This record gives sequence, C-alpha cells and structure tokens, in this order.
Amino acid sequence: MARTGQVKKVGTALAGVLTISLIAGVVFGEGTSPAAPAAPIPPVVAPAPFSPECQGGSTEIVTESPLPHVAAALMKRRTVRILAIGNSTGRRQGGFTRQIERLLKQVVKGADVVIINRGVSGELAANASLRIKNEVAMSNPDLVIWQVGTDDALAFVPLDEVRETVESTVRWLKEHNVDVVLAGLQYVERVAQDDNYYRTREMLRDVAAKEHVMIIRRYEAMQFIAAAQDAGGGYGPDEFERTEAGYNCLAQYLASAITVGAFGKGMSARPLRGPPGSQPQQPPQQAQPPQQQRPMQ
Amino acid sequence: MPRQSNAIDFWRGIALITIFINHVPGIYYARFTHANYSLSDSADLFVFLAGWSLRYIVGVPDRPQQPIGYLVLRLGGRAVELYAAQILITMIAIAMLAATATILDNPLLLEWHNAAAVFYDPIFTHIGLAALTHHLGYFDILPLYVVLMAVAPVFAVIDRYAPNWLLPISIAIYLITLIVPLPIPTWPVEGQWFFNPLAWQLVFVLGFVMAREDGIGGFVRRHITVLRWLSVPIVAVSAYIVWNRMWPDPTLMPQPRLLFIADKTYVTPMRLIQFLALVALFSATYPYIKRWALRLVEFGSMLGRNSLIVFCVGSILSLAGQITRFVYRGDILVDTVVVVLGVAIMAFAAWLPEWREQVRLRRSAQPLPAS
Repeated sequence: MARTGQVKKVGTALAGVLTISLIAGVVFGEGTSPAAPAAPIPPVVAPAPFSPECQGGSTEIVTESPLPHVAAALMKRRTVRILAIGNSTGRRQGGFTRQIERLLKQVVKGADVVIINRGVSGELAANASLRIKNEVAMSNPDLVIWQVGTDDALAFVPLDEVRETVESTVRWLKEHNVDVVLAGLQYVERVAQDDNYYRTREMLRDVAAKEHVMIIRRYEAMQFIAAAQDAGGGYGPDEFERTEAGYNCLAQYLASAITVGAFGKGMSARPLRGPPGSQPQQPPQQAQPPQQQRPMQ
Repeated sequence: MPRQSNAIDFWRGIALITIFINHVPGIYYARFTHANYSLSDSADLFVFLAGWSLRYIVGVPDRPQQPIGYLVLRLGGRAVELYAAQILITMIAIAMLAATATILDNPLLLEWHNAAAVFYDPIFTHIGLAALTHHLGYFDILPLYVVLMAVAPVFAVIDRYAPNWLLPISIAIYLITLIVPLPIPTWPVEGQWFFNPLAWQLVFVLGFVMAREDGIGGFVRRHITVLRWLSVPIVAVSAYIVWNRMWPDPTLMPQPRLLFIADKTYVTPMRLIQFLALVALFSATYPYIKRWALRLVEFGSMLGRNSLIVFCVGSILSLAGQITRFVYRGDILVDTVVVVLGVAIMAFAAWLPEWREQVRLRRSAQPLPAS
C-alpha cells in the first residue's frame, strides 16, 4: 500500500537519509538474505539543496508517494525513461525536463535518464489522456510527468469531466506499471481569486490523494516565489524572471520528488518551511541526519 | 466570376468551419462536430481535399495542361504563399496573446499555446518560427500544408512521368515512418510536429490520385456502391468506439504499434481507413444536401473557394474565441456569440475577394471613356 506522506522541502535532510538508507538497505536491509546475490544498486548521492528562491512557503509543495517502477528501472537497468506530457512541458531548449534529467543524473550516479518530451501546448486533459496511452505503448516509460489542469481551467471545461479523465488515466497508468507525477496549475496573482481555478487545483490535489500519486503543487510553489519577490527577497519583480524561477523550482521539486519517491519510501524528510512572504531560507550548509533509517526499496 | 458550387469546395468549407470550432477548446458546439463520432476529424478532410484540389492545377498525365517547368514554379510559389500566411498568422497570434496578457495583467496567457518560448527565449525561438520548427498550439496545420505544397512539385513530376509510382512511393514513405518510427522534431522547444508530414503526405497524395478519373480514382468511382456498403460498418463501429470511449488498449497491440493504434500525429492506418470510409459514405449525401439546402452548399462552397484566407482568418478567430471565453467565462451564450460571429467573419473574408474580383471584371468590361 502506498504511503502518502508529505515532503515539503526535501533539501539537505535527504542527503544523509539517502546515503545512510542505501548503505543500511544493502547491509542490514530487511529481507536481504546473506545468501542472496546483491542487487546492482546504483550509487545515490544527496540531491543538491534547492536553490534559495525555491525554499520556503508554509504550504506543502510536494506530496510524496513512492515511485516503485522508477526505482525498479534504476535497479535493473540503471535507466529511467520519463515521459513528459501536457501543456508547456518545456520552454528553453528542453525546458525544465532537461533540468530534471541533469539533476537526476547528479543524484543517481551512472544512471541514464531518458526524457521523452511530448507536450502539446493548449491540449485539454481529455486529448492528452489518449496521447498518454499511445505514448506509453510506444515509448514504454517508467514515469509519466503530466502537467495538467491549467488549460482545462482556462477553457472552463466542466470539473467533473476533467476529474474523470485524470482519475481514469492515472488508474490506467498504475495498472500498466507506470509511475505518475502530476504537476498542478501555475500561479498567477490575477487568477488567485478565481473560483474555477481554485476548484481545479483542489480537484487535482484530491485525485492525487485518492489515487496515491505524487503531485507537485506548482501553484503554491510559485505563489511563494511571487510573495518572496514582492517582499524584496532579492529576486527581481520582473514577471519573466518569476516564471523562469517557477520552472526552475518545478524541475528541482520534481527531481527531488522522484528521488525520494524511488529511494526514500518511509523516510520523513524534514521540510523547510517559512510563511509565505517571508525571506527565502538560505540553503543549509550541512546535511542533516535522518530521522529514521529504512532499507532502500 | 467565381466557379460554381461543387462538392469539393462545399466539404472544404465545412472542414474550415469545424476546424475553427474545434480549435476553441471547451466550446459547447465542439460536441456537434464529427470529431466526437469519428476516429478522423476535419484535419484529415482538409488535407485530403487539398490534395484533391492539387489535381485541378496539375491536370492529368495524358492530357497535361501546363509545361512541367511552369507547374513546378507555380506550385513552389503557392508553397511560399502558404509560408507567408503561416508567418503572418503566427505573428498576429503572438501579438494577441501579448496584448491580452498586458491588458488583463495576466502573464499566464504568455504561456498559452507554446507562446512562452517566444517571450522567454526569443533569440532561438524566432529562428524556429521562421524555420517552421516552432509552432503555436492550434497553429500547426499550416506548417504541414507548407511542407506538402513545397513537396508538391515532386509529386507533380512523378505524376507526369511515372503516374503509377506515386501512390506506392507515398505508401512506402508512410510505412517506413510508422514502422521505424520517424518523428519530426521541433526546436527550440523539444517535442515533435503534431502533424508528421512524412505520414500525412499519404492523405494528401490519396486526395491527389483519387481526383483522377482513371487509375485508382477510376477504380473507386466504378466500385463506389460496394465501397459505401463496406464503409457503413467501419464508420458505425468507429462512432461507437469514439462516442463510448472504448478505445482498445494500445499496449496490447502487436509491434510495430503505430500500425495498429489510433494516432493523429502519424495518421495511423486505423484512422486513415476510417477517414476513407467516411469520405466514401458522406460523398453520397452531397446531391441531397444540394437539393434541399442549396444556400448551405453555396455558403460552404464560397468558404472552400477561398480556403487559404478563410483558414487564416479562422485560425485568428479561434484564438480570439479562446480569449473571449476566458474573459467572459465561457458559457453557452458566449459560445454562441463566438461561433456565430466567427463564421460570419469567415464568410465576409471569403466574400470580399470575390466581390473585389467581380468589381474588377465589371470595370474592365466597361468601355474606356473617350479622352
């Protein structure tokens, strides 16, 4: 049964956790028979701390759920295939998916990360759902990162329809042994009070909780960035920079979430928090010891 | 005088209207377009009829109307015209998104429809726009059409000197594209062309060869009754599957999977066969539509006769429709205004060049005043 925990800011708390849990997993791990051949475990190092603008916020940014198929792929093949789908999956020469690739390669040494970008901008969830199934059949990914909701909210697609589409697609992916990460709606101050936008966000969060899949709550992350900038956090108030920071953070959250989802089940990474609008926290200088150690899944 | 109403122009006009409606995502009236009951949609019809219309320019191999050199230059010129149209409507769309984002103070709209790269990464993206490697969402049919028209001189030359080779060559390219497969990458934003030209060229070529009254076109005409009966179950079963969302699981299909799944980017065989069946079946309705709704036929034909300008205006209007729905929180009233006003403006865009041509002809027919 998947555990849905809360990882707010994984940051450096993850460093010791990952390293020690990997060692513990190999040496003392439950179910590890001395006679059993050692599994080819890729060396995992702590992910780099989030950059300053991505640290903070009092609300949860990432809901953690394990990504067993990503972990299995890395164990067996040292390769993970990631299908990025939905609106605006990339902007600058590969966009945030290339950043995820780079970050994951830093964390899982020797791993080959294959990113398959199949974003169609402006596409509604119903059409994306059909393409996801076809792309899974053709590309055989271990993980689907699905940016969903923004275009449906902008087009005022009835919420029930979007919910049914997202739920059925997530279930289909789980049945086909593909992990899912949902990347939620974007934050823009102008739509902050929009009830349709709000209900779409809540619906996605609800679906993710119900189906035990990971969701990156991009809205809250970007909201914090905006608040930090407005409070004079040192990051220009320019809207372009803000959006750019949003995508940078999205890549960092996803990379960390994937690492935790694949290797950190059972770990309770200490979140880094701060009230919205507060100064972003500085990255910790040293890795924190884990709260508890579990064998690697 | 504009040419008389005919089935090709009429169906082309219908395709243009449905493309306009389908390109306003979430609009109420999209549920009445055949995309909701069919594996194929108006894009297939538009490309097929573009190929069919090419036959009118190229003529038939044994009765060539124009020297091949002139034909090649003429088709090349048409490709440049389409390219210019694509650049124009893309720039207008970018300006519309930028203006709306500014007026509404909502930068989210800058991210809409793949426009983000234009604003955030302009150096590379402008190269991509000019090279047709970067497409805005819902502005991706015309790049396909540009490529097809750029290759049309090759089709014309093969058709003139080895007409029986054209379809087999086209099918071979199509099969290789699906079996390998061969996606056409976009740049600088990573992805692939939504309409793969290597696959969609077959739809274009099918229209081109079927417009001939001999060869495969002759075969189809001779056996159209049988083909229509065969088409009935194909169209009916497809409608049932699409309406009830009973798509077969693509992961259960044998390899190479693109030959067995329904996919728009590669216009896979399942989709292509359903489309041809739809064409065979619905082509029978034209005489009845003409008899009972002549005004509708004349209206559709007027749009179809001026397809490029109507397509361009329709593309801009579909974006305007999306913005309108966003601002006024799309409901059935807003959707009705968008559709009625949109189709009316498309009709005006089609009527205007024909009216100007008539005025020009009238003036040229009048005797010159004595000086």
